[in-house]
Amino acid sequence: MNKVIEKTTIIGKRVTKLDAPDKATARTRYINDLVLPRMLYAKILRTDRVHAKILSIDTSGARALAGVHAVITASDAPDGKIGVLRDNPPLKGDKVRCIRDEIAAVAADTEEICDAALRLIKVEYEDLPTVFDCTEALSEGAPIIDEDRPDNIAMQQYFEHGDIGSAEDDSDFVVEGEYNVHYVTHCNMGVSCSLADYDMDGRVTIYTQTQYPFNVKMDIAPSLGAHPGDVRIIQPPIGGAFGSKLDVYPYEPICAILAKKTRRPVKLIFSREEEFVASPTRQPVEFNIRAGMKKDGTLTFRDVDCLLNNGGYTSWGATTPYVSMRTVTSHYTVPNVRYRARAVYTNNPFAGSFRGYGNVQATWAIETHMDRMAEVAGLDPIAFRIKNANYPGEITPQAANLGRVDHVGCILQAADKSDFLDKWHDCKARQAENTRYKRGIGIATSLHNAGGAKIHKSDGCGTMLKMDDYARVTVITGASEIGQGSDTVIAQFVAEELGVPMRDITIINNDSATSPWDVGVHASRTTYIAGNSAKRVARKARERILRAAASYSNVMMENLDLRAGYVVQADDGVVIMPLDKILRQMHFAGEDAELVMETDYYEPPSEPEDENHVGDMSAAYSHAAHVAEIVVDTKLGTIKVEKVWSAQDVGRVVNLTGLEGQIEGGIAFGLGYALSEDLKIVEGKVANPSFRDYHVMTAPQIPEFDLTFLETDDGEGPAGAKGIAELPTIVIAPAIGNALYNATGIRIHHPPMTPEKVARAIAESNAAQDNAKGRTDERG
Amino acid sequence: MSLKIEISLVLNETKVEASVGVTESALELLRREFDLCGAKLACGEGECGACTIIVDGRSRNSCLTPAVDLDGRDVMTVEGLWTEKGVDAVQQAFINEGAVQCGYCTPGMIMQARYLLNRNPDISEAEIIRGLEGNVCRCTGYKKIIAAVKGASRIQEGSPG
Amino acid sequence: MLPQNRFPPVITEYVNATSLEMALEALADGNGTPLAGGSDLWAQKDNGDGRIGSRLVNLNRIDELRGISVNNGFVRIGALTSISEILENQELAGSVALLPKVADRFASDQIRNVATVGGNIANASPAADFVLPLVALDSEVEICSNGRDPRKQALSEFFTGPGKTILGADELITAVIFKIPQKNFHGVFCKTGPRPALEISLVAMCLTGELHNGILDNSRLVFGAVGPTVICCTNTESLINGSQIDDELVAGALDMMAGEISPITDVRASKWYRTHIARTFLEQELIVCRSK
Repeated sequence: MNKVIEKTTIIGKRVTKLDAPDKATARTRYINDLVLPRMLYAKILRTDRVHAKILSIDTSGARALAGVHAVITASDAPDGKIGVLRDNPPLKGDKVRCIRDEIAAVAADTEEICDAALRLIKVEYEDLPTVFDCTEALSEGAPIIDEDRPDNIAMQQYFEHGDIGSAEDDSDFVVEGEYNVHYVTHCNMGVSCSLADYDMDGRVTIYTQTQYPFNVKMDIAPSLGAHPGDVRIIQPPIGGAFGSKLDVYPYEPICAILAKKTRRPVKLIFSREEEFVASPTRQPVEFNIRAGMKKDGTLTFRDVDCLLNNGGYTSWGATTPYVSMRTVTSHYTVPNVRYRARAVYTNNPFAGSFRGYGNVQATWAIETHMDRMAEVAGLDPIAFRIKNANYPGEITPQAANLGRVDHVGCILQAADKSDFLDKWHDCKARQAENTRYKRGIGIATSLHNAGGAKIHKSDGCGTMLKMDDYARVTVITGASEIGQGSDTVIAQFVAEELGVPMRDITIINNDSATSPWDVGVHASRTTYIAGNSAKRVARKARERILRAAASYSNVMMENLDLRAGYVVQADDGVVIMPLDKILRQMHFAGEDAELVMETDYYEPPSEPEDENHVGDMSAAYSHAAHVAEIVVDTKLGTIKVEKVWSAQDVGRVVNLTGLEGQIEGGIAFGLGYALSEDLKIVEGKVANPSFRDYHVMTAPQIPEFDLTFLETDDGEGPAGAKGIAELPTIVIAPAIGNALYNATGIRIHHPPMTPEKVARAIAESNAAQDNAKGRTDERG
Repeated sequence: MSLKIEISLVLNETKVEASVGVTESALELLRREFDLCGAKLACGEGECGACTIIVDGRSRNSCLTPAVDLDGRDVMTVEGLWTEKGVDAVQQAFINEGAVQCGYCTPGMIMQARYLLNRNPDISEAEIIRGLEGNVCRCTGYKKIIAAVKGASRIQEGSPG
Repeated sequence: MLPQNRFPPVITEYVNATSLEMALEALADGNGTPLAGGSDLWAQKDNGDGRIGSRLVNLNRIDELRGISVNNGFVRIGALTSISEILENQELAGSVALLPKVADRFASDQIRNVATVGGNIANASPAADFVLPLVALDSEVEICSNGRDPRKQALSEFFTGPGKTILGADELITAVIFKIPQKNFHGVFCKTGPRPALEISLVAMCLTGELHNGILDNSRLVFGAVGPTVICCTNTESLINGSQIDDELVAGALDMMAGEISPITDVRASKWYRTHIARTFLEQELIVCRSK
């Protein structure tokens, strides 16, 4: 009797990450660990001023030091600049605009010699007037930061839909609010690192932490005076990125210029303090919101004005309004919207992209504001949100087709599982009780792109697949694995199509010379875009194999399937032949010989925004709702988050373990943003550049999690999946802020909700109440 | 040239000798002399635990350990946990439970977990959480790491000896 | 630190001391820097602050400096005793449970395993948690040097400023000694921070005394991180001693204490918040005393 193999699926299961065994045994070599033959080390001399003319740079002492191979300044660098506006020369020659600025760099035999050489470089400055505040920088006579933009405006965006004026006239209530979100930074465990190596023909290989391997070629080339085609990008394993590696930063071209000068491989690695001082931050924003509603709570309009502190140069931070705008215009159904954002040059450090990109900021503002509006409308937080929730197929003012979303489902799941309303009413009633520890519960939701984001002409990903004579599969994908688990998900889609075990699949993805093009790992896009491409390329291979198997077996191709390494009959699972056997038959078939080698380039059905910011820029959208239950120490101001309920529309679960890990980690990121992480910038300088004084979440601070996944089965996504990794970071902070209000009646508009800030707000509120009581008593 | 001192130690169950700089850290020594890159430099001031190793049965930050002080000591790094008998229960549990994302903190986490389990094979969840306070992970939100340490204690129980 | 600010120390001599005598000899000319756990010294070594002299004197193999002993009602903790050893010591858990409790709030396992009692004292950080209970226990520091007799110094008078002590460059702390407290000893330690131990204290407080029927006698009130050194609030102690702890006393004690501490505003906390924490801690602990 023939062997029978039942149909099974690997989608939605708990799958071990492909990179976990090597990482757990320290077989993995990270970029920071790499050593190339004859490699030199490099270090950068940074300014100690925030705005100053450079009068002179004397590098003679450093050049004379034994073991130093090159010392470079602006005069050694090509003219090309980097950054989103190409306003950042990797080495500064005429003036410095912020504390990070690179003055010179050294390549030497050891890091110690580099340090010693830096100390021998003498720089003379003439200080210039400084400006750190957006409004001041916009005022008449403010110091000019970038001479090419004398108004100090780096970028601005404006969008209007409907009629704000008449909507306001029709509103029963208008609520206003100001919400300023702060500086935080990525704190990747692996500090910034670059390794560059030139060949004799002027082609450069750059080992980098980039999340943007193909665009980085184009972005870095001008600063090297190179053709983008002569830049090869290799992505070794890295210690986290979280958005920080989307742009090119000065250390990368500096490293490459030193490699060119010395004709040796050069490696540049940051210290942790340098990482705090000189790597991108999240974009700080000042939001001013006016929003109206009818008596019954139906939203009528939203009018939002944003100022972004751009710092001295323009990186991706200035573009975060493209995403903030989506939240403002499309999160909840709002018929009339206006959005304006201006990124303003100052002498502060500058921001880059960061997990949740623009939406972390906007969701803090919008969801805090929504909670305030609910109170004005006399509705509870759940009823008010459901009344205005997005609905499936909704077309938003910016022409996003929300497709199969389940905003209401997310809200209800999170609310029901947490017993939200009972607790919310109870905590509210207990606010006035004279107890030190107060309990509160809060909710927030958000909307995010979940099918890529077409910020370039293409949002695609290429994949190549080959199979060998032993049915081992090699997948060469454009997608970047940075620890988030994309290789594993890609392999799952391939395993599903080809009926092969996971361990027979090798994913190759880290060299621009071998991998096909991909935009990069950002915007929660990799599972969706690269997953679709992998699925499609595997489908092509599957069809080729089944076609051959049909001709060898005389079974109709439609009744053939690939399962567990065998070709089987689809209807009854009866084995026809081992997969490797058919592959060999195909390979060694004389004149008809064929190897299974397929390619695919997947372009999602999305469109770039037009100049008016209209366009359906993602192939899918999704929501998440978070409920946070907290206990506040009203004396010390400490917030203990006891439990977080998350309900997220994930389209379809692909790797359950990986999904949980992304959501748990994302929430932890958001907890830090909400409670403790605060990069303190004092007169342009970073005041707390260490883990001692910049507090990321540690194990004892993590609350209990209750995760719910809503499977809306996206029509386009691979197996119905949507992108998932940013929403968890986006939603949690305002849920905690709203819980704090529920517990204490204290509303914090400007995160983080540090103990001192909360304690002070409570003390001030108590003092105000005592004063009021005193006045009443006097009158009485 | 900075002062060099000759030391000998037992490194991952093997007796070794090295000439170390007097200002060198154990972390630098492991990388320079022995090509052991499991311990990671992530902060250099004992705040993150990515460089955790076990010395004479006690976990410590190798970035703050003077290399000269390893003389005569017994040093275990994450590389020493995987032997011909197989991978350590902690390593296996980290793999099984999805406790590894970028993986940069993983060797330090695994060494600290190994230390905790050596001291107390029946460690409670609360003790695990407190025991991991000195190890920062930026990816996982710690849940799966805590589960892995619990899982390792179960794997150990089930294994002979 | 930034690469340009890194100044590695120049060490030309290394002494691996195997006895106290050998260590003291190596320190005698004032150019030696003692190395204990290293958790602080190694983190700061490239600061360029001149703290590390030309001779590194490793103390870690001097067994006589290690360990906890109890004799004639006195506890003697060798300077090289690690914070973990304090945490795990059964004797202390029974007789001076306050010390293991403070040890449990100290940094992380990895640091506790190496940081020493002597090092925590010698570093003289105003925020050094472990110093507080030792001051509250009226500890004495035993100090040795080459050629002079060992001397004992009250720990409360040991510190002269942030990072500054009365310890001479040729001297070494060898032990800290204190009397085992009375049976009705009450001792508490409070420290801020959402992280149980890793946090650098914004304010730390230790309150001890003999407690009966809600009255505290012979009290010690010691604060960390609210002044250039550890602060002993002796006036507040006098006010508390022997008094019924009622609302009036609590209010008076809080005000008096606020006049004895001198917190500053820095990147970690404002003067206002530090004062607020100190008041909260003292109020909370006096109320606990009242109910016992």
